[in-house]
Amino acid sequence: MAKRRNPSVLSDEIDWEKGAMKEFTPDPNREVLLSVRNLSVGFSVRGKRTHVIRDINLDVYKGQVLAIVGESGSGKSVFTKTFTGMLDANSIIYSGTVMYHGYDLTKLITNEQWANIRGKRIATIFQDPMTSLNPLLSIGYQISEVLILHRGMSKEDAKAEAISLLGRVKIPHPEERYDDYPFQFSGGMRQRAVIAIALACNPEILICDEPTTALDVTVQSQIIQLIKDLQKEYGWTTIFITHDLGVVANIADDLAVMYGGQIIEYGTIEDVFYHPAHPYTWALLCSLPQLGTKDEPLMYIKGNPPSFSDEIIGDAFAPRSEYAMNIDFVREPPIFKMSDTHWAKTWLLSPYAPKVEPPLIIQELHERMKMAADELAHQEGDNYAKPSSR
Amino acid sequence: MTSYIVGYTIIGLIVAFIVFCILVRRQVIFAETPKVQKIFAHPLLFYSFRRLASGLISFLLAILVTFFLIRLAAPPDTTCDTLFANPHIDQMVYNLRCDNWKENMGFSGSTIQQLGKFFYSIIPVPKSLCITNIDTTLGMYTISSCRTFIFDFGRIYKLSGTADGSFVIDYMMPRMGVSFSIGILGVVVEMGLGYPFGILMARYQNGVFDRIGRAYIISVDAIPGIAYYYVWMAILCAWIGLPMRYTEGSFASWLPAILTIGFTGMASIGLWVRRYMLDQFNSDYVKFARSKGLSERRIMWIHILRNAIVPLIRTFPSAIIGALLGTYYIENIYNIPGIGQAVMIAINSSNTSLLSAVIIISALLSIISYILGDVLTAVADPRISLSKD
Repeated sequence: MAKRRNPSVLSDEIDWEKGAMKEFTPDPNREVLLSVRNLSVGFSVRGKRTHVIRDINLDVYKGQVLAIVGESGSGKSVFTKTFTGMLDANSIIYSGTVMYHGYDLTKLITNEQWANIRGKRIATIFQDPMTSLNPLLSIGYQISEVLILHRGMSKEDAKAEAISLLGRVKIPHPEERYDDYPFQFSGGMRQRAVIAIALACNPEILICDEPTTALDVTVQSQIIQLIKDLQKEYGWTTIFITHDLGVVANIADDLAVMYGGQIIEYGTIEDVFYHPAHPYTWALLCSLPQLGTKDEPLMYIKGNPPSFSDEIIGDAFAPRSEYAMNIDFVREPPIFKMSDTHWAKTWLLSPYAPKVEPPLIIQELHERMKMAADELAHQEGDNYAKPSSR
Repeated sequence: MTSYIVGYTIIGLIVAFIVFCILVRRQVIFAETPKVQKIFAHPLLFYSFRRLASGLISFLLAILVTFFLIRLAAPPDTTCDTLFANPHIDQMVYNLRCDNWKENMGFSGSTIQQLGKFFYSIIPVPKSLCITNIDTTLGMYTISSCRTFIFDFGRIYKLSGTADGSFVIDYMMPRMGVSFSIGILGVVVEMGLGYPFGILMARYQNGVFDRIGRAYIISVDAIPGIAYYYVWMAILCAWIGLPMRYTEGSFASWLPAILTIGFTGMASIGLWVRRYMLDQFNSDYVKFARSKGLSERRIMWIHILRNAIVPLIRTFPSAIIGALLGTYYIENIYNIPGIGQAVMIAINSSNTSLLSAVIIISALLSIISYILGDVLTAVADPRISLSKD
């Protein structure tokens, strides 16, 4: 059980929130594309209301590659689904706004209203390429229909463009594969076809919802590389949902850590990896298997994530945290800003909190990551030396 | 003579076509002509050939089974007794009549001979057949009225309304015609109503239409068929005032039967269409199609409907071909001279030829509809493998 630090009585005389952000403000140096304010989302399941997203504030900046990490059930997917209206029918947006080009996306209801946003402006790549393509329509047709819809192309132009897109996503002999059906493609190739569809949409924002989770490891890195290359070429603003911190370090500029339906820490990769502030981020980094050394046991986070149906009092992570203080069980922490790019939602940043040292691994993270990277480079060198199986 | 020429020409053309396709496929001929290769070596064509070949085997087995079944269920001597025994006629006359009947029915000779005759009469090659009549006063056989057939199903004896020794095929053809005209219109009604019914229920799931529709489906399911037909009869004839009895040439008198078939059949079609559509609604590819920004209408008609229909395609040929066999109850209650009651008539009047004809024809039709169903499903669903394994 967590040790209770700072046994102080919660008196009103101490302004715990001193220095906290009163109103959520974006990084003044960057252009905001999509801004989420006080968003709360839940579901109505058999008459019971659940809370999956709890009062999230976030700004997505133009051209940014933002990774959202968090364990299963932290609300990553649900959060981004509000940007495209893809929430399930029993979902309820309790409060908040998602402002995009002057429109509040939470106010859009019908699929007709969403038609202008989906695909055209915000496209999504889903987790499982095996099931995201229609099994009865050819790959080419499924790309062409997007080109005809969003770019007003003729059938012939759409076919030519679709073939060139298949080439872009590195499918060999694209003109021969145009008429193939999804079942004739491997998992990796299907995900490439899905990416080609996203390319065909030419969106402003691309949401990648765990695009490599369903693929095997060698294919994963190819797909990540492909998305990275295309992102650079097209300059999409990309939101990358994953629970793989290795992927994050590889592709993202910024990182939002989600826990219990909230973003508990946000910052650039540098900020979050080398100066993490929230105990959950510490725990997450400590449990990275790549960073473990042979002689020490693998770290994991004890306990379970909070339930959707219960109300959370205080800090959602407190019951599992070794660094929890009394106040963490009583009051929800506000956002404390450490720099223009870095903020976290934890009482530890309050000026009245005792100074705690993050775990040893975090302090050594720089060296450990370097070691892991060297090892990875070594392995990849091996991989490239082998002849390709495809 | 003409029938022979036409018959064998058709058989020859079929054999020639299959040989030609095999040669093209093996690249013996037209190996350099992609157009010919594309059409005549198409995997679907060979898939159909293989299905036809296996269908032919099933058909031959069905004939074999029927042959023994008839002889087990109605031994010729017993049947002869039922048909011709009469205390007022001479034993010799009885024997003559019975032998003549056996001869004409294919019950004379050894079992192997009988089996050979049975197969020969059914397999579709042109053949000439004559009725031998017996003049009981003179004890002489006379041959009269020869006919050429492709299929021969034997003769009918002692059935009211038909002359002794008349051909089963002459009895069946017009009746199948009547059953088919009514049945096919019934299928048109049941599919024409059933599909939109199912689609609308799925589209507006849990809406008012869906609730009413589901209640209707349950009621059709729960009430036994025969009772349900009388309910429709009451509505259509007693209430709306359509004629209750079938009259040839009067379309209004067909309507009650057609609508009864249609309204009953649409329930199960609607149920399955709705079920398959709802299965698709929650699938990932529909979510992805939506996230691509496609309109709901396009998702519905291009993406969902296509996938939902595939498992139902199999039912099209059997529904259409099945109309040839008629329906017992509906033909019974509306007094339609169709083929649906033929089995009962054949059993009641000990006409084994008619019985075996109905069994064999329905076996043949169901084999054909299975093959067509498989081929159509393969056309619609690219995932179905057309190769041997």
